[in-house]
Amino acid sequence: MPTQRFWMLCAACALSACAGNGEGLDANGRPEGEGSDTLEPSFESIQDNVFTPVCTGCHAGAAAPLGLRLDEGASYALLVNAPSVEVPALRRVQPGNPDASYLIQKLEGTAAVGGRMPLNAPALPPATIAVIRQWIANGAPNIAVSSQATKLSLVAPADGSLKAESIVVAADGSVDLSLLQAGVVTLRASGGDGNFESGNEINIAVAVAVRSTQPAVLVIETQPLARDSYELRINGGEPVALADHGGVPVDGDGDGMPGGDFVAHFTVEEAR
Amino acid sequence: MILSRKSWTAAAIVAGIFVATVAHAEPYFAVRQGMKCNSCHFNPAGGGMRNAFGNGWAQTALPARRIEMPATDNWTGEVNRFIALGGNLRANATYNDIPNQDAQSEFDLEELRAYLAITAVPDRLAVYIDQRLAPGGSTNLEAFARYMTKDQRWNFQAGQFYLPYGLRLEDDSAFVRQVTGISFATPDRGVQVGFESAAWSAQLAVTNGTASGPEADEGKQASLRGEFIQNIWRFGAGFNLNDTDVGDRQMQGVFAGVRTGPVAWLAEADYIEDETLGSMERTQWVGLIEANWLVTQGNNLKLTAEFFEPDNDVDEDEQTRYSLLWEYIPIQFVQLRAGARIYDGIPQNDLQNRKLYFVQVHGFF
Repeated sequence: MPTQRFWMLCAACALSACAGNGEGLDANGRPEGEGSDTLEPSFESIQDNVFTPVCTGCHAGAAAPLGLRLDEGASYALLVNAPSVEVPALRRVQPGNPDASYLIQKLEGTAAVGGRMPLNAPALPPATIAVIRQWIANGAPNIAVSSQATKLSLVAPADGSLKAESIVVAADGSVDLSLLQAGVVTLRASGGDGNFESGNEINIAVAVAVRSTQPAVLVIETQPLARDSYELRINGGEPVALADHGGVPVDGDGDGMPGGDFVAHFTVEEAR
Repeated sequence: MILSRKSWTAAAIVAGIFVATVAHAEPYFAVRQGMKCNSCHFNPAGGGMRNAFGNGWAQTALPARRIEMPATDNWTGEVNRFIALGGNLRANATYNDIPNQDAQSEFDLEELRAYLAITAVPDRLAVYIDQRLAPGGSTNLEAFARYMTKDQRWNFQAGQFYLPYGLRLEDDSAFVRQVTGISFATPDRGVQVGFESAAWSAQLAVTNGTASGPEADEGKQASLRGEFIQNIWRFGAGFNLNDTDVGDRQMQGVFAGVRTGPVAWLAEADYIEDETLGSMERTQWVGLIEANWLVTQGNNLKLTAEFFEPDNDVDEDEQTRYSLLWEYIPIQFVQLRAGARIYDGIPQNDLQNRKLYFVQVHGFF
């Protein structure tokens, strides 16, 4: 009996010193420089920080269960707008709709069929799933992060203008003008108190025209504006975000990342 | 409050009704007994529904104590000569300790499975179904028709089934199962021919190579498994080639089992050459050694050491995993398992350095 236990321990010890020390490698176990470090709501970042290190233990190459490869170069086409094998009525990733995306349901453990992913492993942290949700809500684009997101700026009217009948907003890149539907651009008057949270705000009807496209210049037509403070808002997030032709939402809040509403304030003074 | 022995037994039976069993295999049983996998299982390579002999053996040889019943009440799984049933239900309590993250603990229904074998011609022609009923919706895992020659040496099957390769371990998360991609979670569709003799068991399967996913190209997957079985030891080898439009994935491995006194040993090593993971071919190694010590009848202590080399061309990326489990079968149809799994990998990856502790209630019939 002791001999048996001795050999059992030897077998374990023989392999116990074999884990790598990770020198020169990133968190995926690949040579440094192959991927990014910070998780952001972009496909490239999610690939590097989630799919590759967590999912490709099973979902890689020809061995991928149900043919769902999540290794780099194959994953996007097999996820976005691709029907699920387990629930064909759902897409694995439905751009703009994370709740209806089967990927999210599998990660959150609410899928109709089978177990939560990753299988036989701890669930992804809620913050990680939230980033994937944001990526899907942003339209699930397949481009790298951030620095290419279109920024907006208010050209006219200048603050304190005597009158304003149109508002001009310029973009530093292209904008998908087909997204300029109702509700994407909104204008509110403060109601005279300069406060946009007091409950007495007035919605102003607007019509958006395009002065140029490369770069995009938008002219927001409105009734002659009375003396008041005004807030112009252009959606950079749900339900419909203004985005470029690649589906990347504009960097409305100017933080260097796609998404975030563009908000500009200006005042109109009485003519003297 | 002190419960009587009858109360504990009743509680265990009630718990057994609600526990989940798993459609997985325990190759160490075969090694310990010097038997072939198909001695106890409908599947010639093991796993899934137990046949009448397997049910009988499980009820008599496994439990620490047996609830005696009239012979006519013993479960065999056979409704009649033509129809056999089986089922599994497994429930877990797990605690995951991941560095730099909040620990996770949960109760989980791992799975509920039902088996059905309809033998239209006894010992010759049958249809077999392995259906996962929970969690979530019903999912088919195996569904195939099988024909056996009169001398029982050759069998042919077509449909969806688990691929023949390596050891059919209970643990799908073992490196040798997860990395090879061949486990009880990844059946495939195709045809298989098998050969059985007193000492030999072999299977050759040709399947889509998509693990039941949609077929996207003309390429197919070939899986070959052969095993030579003796009373004290056994040795086997496997080969798998998956031909796809994006490249080939080839695996070859050996596995073995040996009994030394009360310890049943298992081992497997696989070498993988994969052209489908990127622009360059990637070669990998994965291995397992497992010792199962029968402390007393109904009590098994399992110690497992595993190794994974994700890329032979990258240094210091290796991963290991160690498991220590106690498996207790107090009465027939019920198994209690408790254990720990320690992962050891590169320090940059927290998931590769996690610890898992679990308790499992497992019922099978």
